Amino acid sequence: MAPRSVNLWSVCCLLLCFVAAVFAGRDFYKILGVPKTASIKDIKKAYRKLALQLHPDRNQGDPEAQDMFSDLGAAYEVLSDEEKRKQYDKFGEEGLKEGHSSSHDDIFSRIIFRFLPQNQDRNVPRGNDIVLDLEVTLEEVYSGNFVEVVRNKPVAKEAPGTRKCNCRQEMRTTQLGPGRFQMTQEVVCDQCPNVKLVNEERTLEVEIEQGVRDDMEYPFIGEGEPHIDGEPGDLRFRIKVLKHPVFERRGDDLYTNVTISLVEALVGFEMEITHLDGHKVHFVRDKITKPGAKLWKKGEGLPNFDNVNIRGSLIVTFDVDFPKDQLDEQQRAGMREQLLKQESIQKVYNGLQGY
Amino acid sequence: MLTDCIIPCAEHFLQLMLNKMRSVRCLGRLALLVFIALQCDCRDTEFNYVTCGSLVKLLNTRHNVRLHSHDVKYGSGSGQQSVTGVESSDDANSYWRIRGKPNAPCERGAPIKCGQAIRITHMNTGRNLHTHHFVSPLSSNQEVSAFGENGEGDDLDVWTVQCSGTYWERDEAVRFKHKGTEVFLSVTGEQYNHPIRGQREVHGMPHANHHNYWKTMEGVFIKTSAELGHHDEL
Repeated sequence: MAPRSVNLWSVCCLLLCFVAAVFAGRDFYKILGVPKTASIKDIKKAYRKLALQLHPDRNQGDPEAQDMFSDLGAAYEVLSDEEKRKQYDKFGEEGLKEGHSSSHDDIFSRIIFRFLPQNQDRNVPRGNDIVLDLEVTLEEVYSGNFVEVVRNKPVAKEAPGTRKCNCRQEMRTTQLGPGRFQMTQEVVCDQCPNVKLVNEERTLEVEIEQGVRDDMEYPFIGEGEPHIDGEPGDLRFRIKVLKHPVFERRGDDLYTNVTISLVEALVGFEMEITHLDGHKVHFVRDKITKPGAKLWKKGEGLPNFDNVNIRGSLIVTFDVDFPKDQLDEQQRAGMREQLLKQESIQKVYNGLQGY
Repeated sequence: MLTDCIIPCAEHFLQLMLNKMRSVRCLGRLALLVFIALQCDCRDTEFNYVTCGSLVKLLNTRHNVRLHSHDVKYGSGSGQQSVTGVESSDDANSYWRIRGKPNAPCERGAPIKCGQAIRITHMNTGRNLHTHHFVSPLSSNQEVSAFGENGEGDDLDVWTVQCSGTYWERDEAVRFKHKGTEVFLSVTGEQYNHPIRGQREVHGMPHANHHNYWKTMEGVFIKTSAELGHHDEL
């Protein structure tokens, strides 16, 4: 008797759990693969990575990918909006108001990626490309960032009537009489539906990826200049990395210079350098530091663009500041005695030819 | 624009109605709805400022032509690259980049203040909008050219934005006054012949009048971003 009721009870529990799971709605954090405490930047990054993988164009004929892609869109739509995210955190998916949500295509097309496969028909006339030099700071190269822009562009809209299009020069042969012909040049046009150009606006978002290099481009397909008889050109963001007052970039390595006092150079020192994202890099030195000495800190450089887990190094070059005031006779005597047990070496050589 | 506000405001209003369950005083409620709609902060769906680093097309409001340049040099005057006004709205050679003056930092996305000194750089050729003491070919005003390489020219590339408020707004007609020769960027309607038939002359004029009003049209406007640090404080 007892085992059977236990079985019935556990089955009921299981059923209840199952029903609850089905109706509890989707776990958006799990879909995006981010923790509940993820920042908006992390959410955007996760979405972009997954959207590229799961886009229907790349997974033709895979119905599961289509479902996962629409789940992804719903997850991003909620978690990228502060208000909606708060509601979702409190009440779950059913707690969300039935608002007018933009279609996933809209969200996706705001951030069109570099390599969406496009069927480029060479014969279709194309509008001009637009190239915008986007200035980025070294801090943005280190941590990544998102830049929103508003694109206002003319869009072809249907208008009543027809217009001439595809105009070209053709040779026409007319017969003037038996055996006599005349060739003339004529402009021949087709009739196309009439279009007018109307200005439209939309917001685009470009990601400054970690480790991005100078002159790298982020194209937005079709956001360039329109062509009345063909396709619009592209809008390309070209990255221009600005100079930094503290750090110099070489590849993935960062170079910086530090001036220390003569005393510190001789007896050692301890210091901190504030990095691009605010974290401190600690240095301890207990030996003599010569002017021009370099210190390497592995892993404190910039993240590598192709693999952000690999970082370059931070190379610090020291120069020594000599005291400005002259030493008096007593100090000079002290110096000779205490400090420099070296003999006087005065080597004369040609420094410019490497001797 | 306003409709983006009306829908959520209408929703809120309907909720109010349902919650309160008072007798319906239609006219009063309607007035309240209109009031709420007008009070809506529609700013977050619109971005109205011209910011540093943005790419814009500038329309002369009197003559309906866009500021334009190309790889065609003046046949007289300085012989530098010519700057004209064109009627078409889909030419990529009408795009200009708004940048700060030389050696002064202009943060990407920072709205341009009225009275601020800027450079206007031609997107395709990298030359700056420039004027100097040369005579313009058609109207004998002051010649306006495109000068420099890769965005670097000289001190005569700097213009001041004259507008009425605090910041340069996208739908506002503004004037550009040259810092150096004190002329206003203008069009008065004279047209060129071959090889740039139909294009208007753009020149500098000493007087402020209705020929020197310009408005931003098509373009890529960089929004002002919050500082990097703020994103992490959710």
